[in-house]
Amino acid sequence: MRSAAILDGTLGTAARQAQALAGFLREGLSGDPVAETLIFYHDERDRVRLVGLAPTRAVRLVRTATRRPDRIVETLAALATNEQTELFLFAGGAAGTEMATRVACRAGGAVLTDALSIEVRPSLLVGRKNVYSNHLVGRFELSARPACVSIDAGWSDEGRPASLEHRVLSDTDATDGAGLAPFEDLELAAAPPTGDLAEGRFLVVAGYGAGSREHADRVAAAARRMGAVFGVTRPVAMNAWAPMDRLVGVSGVRTAPDLCIVVGASGAPAFSWGIEKAGFIVAINPDEQAPIVRNADVAVLDDGVTIIEELARIVSADREGP
Amino acid sequence: MRILVSFKVTPDFEALREADWAAAAADGVRTRYARRILNCFDESALELALRLSEALADQGGAADLSALSVGGRETEPYLKTLQALGYGRAARVEPEAALDFAPAVTAALIAGYVQQVDHSGLLLLGCRSGPGDSGTMPFRVAENLGWPCPTQVVEMAPLADERVRVACMVDDGLLRATVRLPCVLAVGNAVVSRLRVPTLTDRLAQRGKPIAVLSAADLGVDIAEELSRETCALTGLEAIERARPGVIVHGETPRAKAQALFAEHLKTRMEKL
Repeated sequence: MRSAAILDGTLGTAARQAQALAGFLREGLSGDPVAETLIFYHDERDRVRLVGLAPTRAVRLVRTATRRPDRIVETLAALATNEQTELFLFAGGAAGTEMATRVACRAGGAVLTDALSIEVRPSLLVGRKNVYSNHLVGRFELSARPACVSIDAGWSDEGRPASLEHRVLSDTDATDGAGLAPFEDLELAAAPPTGDLAEGRFLVVAGYGAGSREHADRVAAAARRMGAVFGVTRPVAMNAWAPMDRLVGVSGVRTAPDLCIVVGASGAPAFSWGIEKAGFIVAINPDEQAPIVRNADVAVLDDGVTIIEELARIVSADREGP
Repeated sequence: MRILVSFKVTPDFEALREADWAAAAADGVRTRYARRILNCFDESALELALRLSEALADQGGAADLSALSVGGRETEPYLKTLQALGYGRAARVEPEAALDFAPAVTAALIAGYVQQVDHSGLLLLGCRSGPGDSGTMPFRVAENLGWPCPTQVVEMAPLADERVRVACMVDDGLLRATVRLPCVLAVGNAVVSRLRVPTLTDRLAQRGKPIAVLSAADLGVDIAEELSRETCALTGLEAIERARPGVIVHGETPRAKAQALFAEHLKTRMEKL
């Protein structure tokens, strides 16, 4: 099966895309391997760096305009027709979802987004993804080609830098005839940093059970006192008790701390996805029936704010010594 | 400016018990008794459209708001609420078959409604909805219509000459861009997340106003044929195992519990951080 991993090197997320794709190619894909990476780039100066990121040895480069997913979609749809490419693999996130969907629509293919795994058999392509707000995993058969698959945002390959000897098979220029850009007057501002959430080793998360903005602030203060990174569940962010960039879960950040304390969250799967890679999970919740209690290593059945403040006092006293 | 918001009403999946999900993996998901809720991204889209319409009015322009849902009678209370809030046209398309895992069919219905009935130049949809959670709907509709589609839109403001300035929380930052109508906007994690509540007076004023109910055939879509062309078919469901030991920490008082938690489970772990 002719297949390609796609890297949009015109975006600031190229390294993240490459790491996620590398992780997926190694552990998420079974059957036929993906043999080449197609890198879209704009600036000549990025070329060497981007080739170095590719998760496969074979690399093809296509020069294109920056932030023009429409141009990438046109190029890939043409490839599917001209070269009979049967599988395109995109990194997770909004850009991957858009490109996978649009290429499938244009080229008469099939699309699966947020794939946890893909099994490539001679005449069948089976993928798995979370459905029902992360309560279940669905198995899907993709019957049309090209199969356009974006991978789950949880895939990453951090700590395992690729050490491949890359071979650049071609470098084509697709900057001509770019047509009218669909968007004008672009201004990109750095997003509020969420790197501390993604990388923090000690995380405290406040859920809706905190009860109010004031209580969420008290949980944040206790987290600070213990040296923990502070995050919140979606209902907390939606009530503006904390900024949106603190959001942990499917629509926010996926974390992987060594220690995670969850204060007053029920443990809805869309949130649990964001902490399930944690080494050790503590749940503080008065409701013994809350799913978070069973999904934690240890649970305290009590008011979350009271316990986390007590804990912060104990931790501070312990650090200061007798 | 003619603005259409397409929204979905779904069962509240959080209302099902864990045992229900375990059974669902084998026997299918039963959500008949779960309460219905508005998909959260669609709720943002509906409120953002109201605010866009107000901003247009402030600039001396006018907006013509319209709401659509592909769904059964469960969507009608929401459509009535939207009428009371200022959505001049409210319609639903009777699905006639289970379309939860057939986004291409739903996209054809929405695009058909835009082209043949509503003729709006600005279409707002939430960026994803359950139970399929595919996130493909805005792009599918945009492809059907041949329109651009900024995604993860979190803010929008009207500009002159049928243009809109949007802010999008994309993968690598906050992107502001100007887009010319016609276009689709896929609404993401907007801070504006709650749809306002209409007053009783507004509700009474709109009482009895009809909700248009259309069939797929009205929009030129043959659902059986479209379903037979589905290229990504759901073939099975699996339960997700998330259980951990869940050891309960005991103590007479909150302080005693916190002390036990620290001494027995956290002190050593924190020292290694």
